Amino acid sequence: MARGGRSGVGELSSEFASVHVSIDLEGNGPRLRVEDLRTGQVGFLDPLELETLAWLPEGALHRFLDPSLHRWRAES
Amino acid sequence: MPSVAPHLPWDELIEPGRVHGSLYTDPDIYAAELERIWYRTWVFVGHVSEVPEPNDYVLKSIGPQPVIMSRDRQGEIHLLLNRCTHRANLVCDAPKGNSSAFRCPYHGWTFSNTGKLLGYPFNSGYDGTALKAELGLGRVPRVAQYQGFVFGSFAEEGPTLEEHLGAATDAFDRLVRLSPTGEVELTAGWLQHKCKANWKMLLENETDGYHPQFVHSSIFSVASSGIGDLYGDKSTAVCRDLGNGHTENDLRPEFRRMDQPLGWFGTKPEKVPDYVAQLEAKLGAETAREVLVDGSPHVMVFPNLFIAEIQLFVIQPTAVDETVQHVTAVQYKGAPDMNRRMLQQTIGSVGPAGFLLADDSEMYERNQRGVQARSPEWLTIRRGMHREREDADGFTVGDATDEVPQRAIWKHYRSLMGGAA
Amino acid sequence: MHGSATNGAVGSGLDVATLREVEQFIYREARYQDELEYDAWEALWTDDAIYWVPANGGDSDPTREVSILFDNRARIATRIKQLHTGKRHSQTPPSQLRRIVSNVELLDGEADGIGPEGDIRAGANFLVYESRERGVTLWAGRSDYTLRRTPDGLRMAYKKVTLVDSDRPLYTLAFLI
Repeated sequence: MARGGRSGVGELSSEFASVHVSIDLEGNGPRLRVEDLRTGQVGFLDPLELETLAWLPEGALHRFLDPSLHRWRAES
Repeated sequence: MPSVAPHLPWDELIEPGRVHGSLYTDPDIYAAELERIWYRTWVFVGHVSEVPEPNDYVLKSIGPQPVIMSRDRQGEIHLLLNRCTHRANLVCDAPKGNSSAFRCPYHGWTFSNTGKLLGYPFNSGYDGTALKAELGLGRVPRVAQYQGFVFGSFAEEGPTLEEHLGAATDAFDRLVRLSPTGEVELTAGWLQHKCKANWKMLLENETDGYHPQFVHSSIFSVASSGIGDLYGDKSTAVCRDLGNGHTENDLRPEFRRMDQPLGWFGTKPEKVPDYVAQLEAKLGAETAREVLVDGSPHVMVFPNLFIAEIQLFVIQPTAVDETVQHVTAVQYKGAPDMNRRMLQQTIGSVGPAGFLLADDSEMYERNQRGVQARSPEWLTIRRGMHREREDADGFTVGDATDEVPQRAIWKHYRSLMGGAA
Repeated sequence: MHGSATNGAVGSGLDVATLREVEQFIYREARYQDELEYDAWEALWTDDAIYWVPANGGDSDPTREVSILFDNRARIATRIKQLHTGKRHSQTPPSQLRRIVSNVELLDGEADGIGPEGDIRAGANFLVYESRERGVTLWAGRSDYTLRRTPDGLRMAYKKVTLVDSDRPLYTLAFLI
C-alpha cells in the first residue's frame, strides 16, 4: 500500500495542556502522532510503545512529568 | 572466521582468459565465497529512502543473511541481524514497519531498534540483569553510505566504503545528478525474481555488451528501441574495468553522437516538460542538456548492486545454484512526471514477466544446466583481449561487445578468494 | 439488462444465464492461454484494456509501485508480438501448461453483477501447472475480471491476477497468466 497521509483522531484539552492526536502514515508503519498545540512540538508513539502505555501502572508516567527532565532544563 | 576450502587452487581455476566451470557449481566454492566475499567486502543493503522516518525499518539481506535495516529516533541507520540472541528466532517478520523496539514472538525478548536488549519476560529467571549488556542483537559491524545508498561489511576492518567503491562513486554521482533535487528515492517497492543459477551468472551478464542482440532480439524486433544498436559491432560505446570488480558499459559515446536529450531513455524533453524545467533550473540550461544527453549510468557495483540506467538490481545468492534478483525503479525525488515513465518502463522490462529480464533469466538457468556438462571444463572470456586499451583516465576499456568486464570481475574475485591479485 | 436482483451470492435471483456465459468465457480464455492461441487470446481484449499482475499483495498502486505486469492494450499487443517472434527465449520452447479455473462468481455488490457502464464484474480462482526444463512450477491465484458486452460477444476490459505468492521471489512468468 502506498505510504503517506494522516488520519485525524481528535483534540484533547485540559487546563494544563492541549494536544492533537492523529494516526501518521508517513513511515513504514502507522504511528500515533501527538502534537502539543501550545508549542507545536510533535512526538510519535508506535504500536508497541502504545501497548506498553496501556500496561503502565497508575502514575508510572509521573517521572516524565518532572518539568526539568527533558524540557525546562537549567542548562539549556 | 571459518576457513573454508583453503586448499582450492584459485589461480588454477581462474586464468586471465578462462574460468573453470566448477566455480559455478561447487558447494565448497560457494561456501568459501560467502565467507570471503559476502561476509567480508562491502555489500549494498538498501537506500535511506526505504526508512524515511525515525523508527522505520525494513527487512533486507546480505546474501543469505537476514538483516534488519532500521533508522533510530536520532536518524542513524543500523544493520542488525534478524536473530534473537536468546534462542535464535527471527525477531522481525513483517517486511517493513515502524517501531522503536522489536519484540521476539518466541519468548518476548525485546530489543531497541539500535540492537540493545531492553529486557525479557519473568526476569527473575536470569539472576540479575547482566545478560542485558551482553545480549544485544548481532550487527553488521560496519555501515556506510554513499549518496543515500547504504552498504554493510561484516569485516570489522578493511577498506572504507569509498575506497571499495573507488571509481564507481562516479556512477552514483551521475545517477543523482539526473534528479532535480539531487536525490533518488526507492519508493516503488521491489520485485523479487528467482532463478536456478549461480549468482555470478547474473553478475557477469549485467555488463555483458555481447548478449543483448541475441538474448533480447525478440523485443528489439517488435518494439522501437535503440538499445540493440548500442551493443553492435559498429557501436562507439565502450566497456570499462573500473577497478575492485566494478564494471561498466559506457554508452555515452553513442548518446553524445546522437546528441538527443533524453534519447538514452527513448523519449524527448517535451514529453516530460516539468522534469526538464526543474533540471534546467537546478543545473542551468547548458549543463542540464549535457546531463540529459549523457543519460544514466550502466554500472555493476561488485558484488551485488547493478545500476541499470532507470532500474536498480540487487543480486542475492541463496544457494550455489539459486539466486534472487531484486529490482526496483529509480525514482527522482520531486519529479513525478519522469518517475511515472521510469516506473512503467521498469514494469514492462524487468521482473519475472519483463520483456527483457525474463529472457536473461532463461539464459542464466540454461547456463547453469550447461555448465554441468563435463567438457570443455572451461568458460572462455577472451573476447577483445587483443584490443584492450587504456582510456584517458587510465582505466582498461574495450569495445562495446568485449569481455573486459568479465575479466575485471574474475580478477577481483580471485584476489578476494585468496589467489593472485 | 441481464437478470434481476442478486449480488453474486447464492440467492433466489441468481442470474444463471449470465453466470454460465461468463464461465464459458473464462474457460475459453484459459484454454487459449494453455494452448498458446495467442491471437485468439489477444482478440478477447477491449481497446481500453488493462492487464495487471500486482506484486507484493493485491492492493498496491500500479502508478506508483512496481507490478509483475501492468499492460495497457498497446503493451498487450507488444507482448503477443514478442511471443510470436519465436525468439522470446523464456517461452522458446513454450511452457507446457494446464490450468484449472474454478469458483467463478459474478461480483460487485451491484444488484445483478453488472457494474458501471453495463460492465460485468466476475472473479475466479485458478491453479496453473507449468512444466519447463527447470521443472514444474505451480501458480495459484485469483483473477478479477471486468467484462463488456460487444457485438462480438463478451470481451475483457480488465483482468487483475493476484498471485497467492506475489510477495515472494518468483520464477520467470513469461507465459500468459
